[in-house]
Amino acid sequence: MGLAAQKRVRSIISYCILGFWSFILLFPMYWVVITSFKNAIDMSIKATYMPFIDFEPGLHAWRYLFVDRLTWFLDPFMNSVLVAFISSALALVIGSSAGYALARFDYGGRNNSIVLGFMSQRMFPGALFILAFLVMFRELGLLDTRLALIIVYSSGAIPFIVWVMRDFFEGLPVEIEESAMIDGANRLGVLFRIAMPLAAPGLVAVFVLSLIGAWNEYLVALTLTFREAITIPLFMTMQVSQTGYTEWWNMSAISLVSVIPVVAAGMALEKYITGGLTFGALKG
Amino acid sequence: MATEPQIYPSKRPRFEIRDNLWKWIFLVPAVAIILILLAVPVLWTLYAAFTDLHLYRIGDFDTKFVGLANFEKLLSNRSFWRTARNTVVFMLGVVPTQLIIGLTVALALNNITRGQKLFRTWFLMPLMVSPVVVSFIVGRMLFQEDIGPINDILRSFGFEGVPWLTSPTWAMVALMAIDVWQWSSFMILMLLAALQGVPPDLHEAARVDGANQLQAFWRITVPLIMPITMTALLIRIIDAFKVVEIIMVLTGGGPGQATESVTLAIYRTGVKGGDLAFGSSQAYFLLIVLMIFGGAYLVLTRRAMGKD
Repeated sequence: MGLAAQKRVRSIISYCILGFWSFILLFPMYWVVITSFKNAIDMSIKATYMPFIDFEPGLHAWRYLFVDRLTWFLDPFMNSVLVAFISSALALVIGSSAGYALARFDYGGRNNSIVLGFMSQRMFPGALFILAFLVMFRELGLLDTRLALIIVYSSGAIPFIVWVMRDFFEGLPVEIEESAMIDGANRLGVLFRIAMPLAAPGLVAVFVLSLIGAWNEYLVALTLTFREAITIPLFMTMQVSQTGYTEWWNMSAISLVSVIPVVAAGMALEKYITGGLTFGALKG
Repeated sequence: MATEPQIYPSKRPRFEIRDNLWKWIFLVPAVAIILILLAVPVLWTLYAAFTDLHLYRIGDFDTKFVGLANFEKLLSNRSFWRTARNTVVFMLGVVPTQLIIGLTVALALNNITRGQKLFRTWFLMPLMVSPVVVSFIVGRMLFQEDIGPINDILRSFGFEGVPWLTSPTWAMVALMAIDVWQWSSFMILMLLAALQGVPPDLHEAARVDGANQLQAFWRITVPLIMPITMTALLIRIIDAFKVVEIIMVLTGGGPGQATESVTLAIYRTGVKGGDLAFGSSQAYFLLIVLMIFGGAYLVLTRRAMGKD
């Protein structure tokens, strides 16, 4: 077999593998989409696979979600939006300032140890925190508030942001900042007017990653909230246990509403997100 | 790393003093928040593990130190060992599977020229989906025993339907499948990044020297991607040890206690049951295992790679 033929065979095998794995990833997503258009009858006797061929799709789940029960669904949705955006924005400002400081100032030669100290937080299992958080926020009277989730989620995102952004700022040229400071700008101006705009790709990546993290988090939300401040994942599991896993179509519609925004954002920013996800390991 | 830039000329002392202030204003908030929300819970949990603290008795002032009683209870508790065993079984099931899938798909991805970016973007998808939704969609719907598509397809090929959620063994398999579905992508993307760091001419040189495909792979590619592979494995192992959310949604730890993980047990005893002391001792047990394991892993892999 010639080299060209060998190459062709290898590339065909490669596409087969990629196609197979893509199908494995696609099928559950396809299933939830078609289920959101199914009627009870389509799920009571046997599995149905193709809309219009083996079942007649209907919009009743979507109508239920967006017309009949909009208010019931809107509260947790807004909780998720507020908690995710506020906590990520806070973490971004606090974390990237610290990352900048660790890139530009000298803290007695201990900059690396400080960064490692931040990262040690990731070693600790979440189980270690939930008990203490439960007592802490109970004593503070913050149980079942969005504030509690915002505090926990932003503190959870800060170490990662410090870690990534410090490296990002170190890669930026100092000369521009120098000349701005000689022209009389202070550090705050330099950070917000020069360094941050230059670091925009990194900021976008860490912001979206913390947004997704907060949007999807379940264990802490389950521990700290129960009625007023519940987020989408918690709302979903509450519905599941109330309806006894039977209203698949409604759950599918809710799943899609909760999944589409973050998946779309993540995939649109693929380059930055993959960079952010693999960053820690590639550096270590 | 030691390139701390000396930015401003030394003849501007007043300016430098003001800048010195920013140095602390930028760093202190982050440090303060992490100290409060990391150190306080960690120390408080340590304290709780040595007391008889209970959620419904906080403020009674009669909390007693009980020494190692919680840990003694833990080590002699069969239900706890059951959850520890489940967690290890889960880890051993998912991590090697994800490594195999990750390596296979990453090699395929590295091999193609057209459509690479498209596949890479698509493979990112499962990482963005919340574990609750994954567990609900993949688990509850696809593994549904009567009308779920997986059993339906099995039956159409003449097999029996599998009792995915009612059999202890199959429930664990279903949970592993969910984790593999979601997290193989992490391995794929990490290993792809590693493979793209292998200089292609190195491979070609080996082929010219008469090495076959397999030899070139083992002698050149594998050693070069080893460091990133080891780090990716460690991350996945630690995450697998902490598994809880998908279990809560899919099986709730059942049938019986067959799929309860350590973290789920901590939630059940500490948060649900209010036994903060016992829950805390379990959390510390998990932390100590993770630290010993992580430390040993790092030392061993460093040594192994140093020898190669």
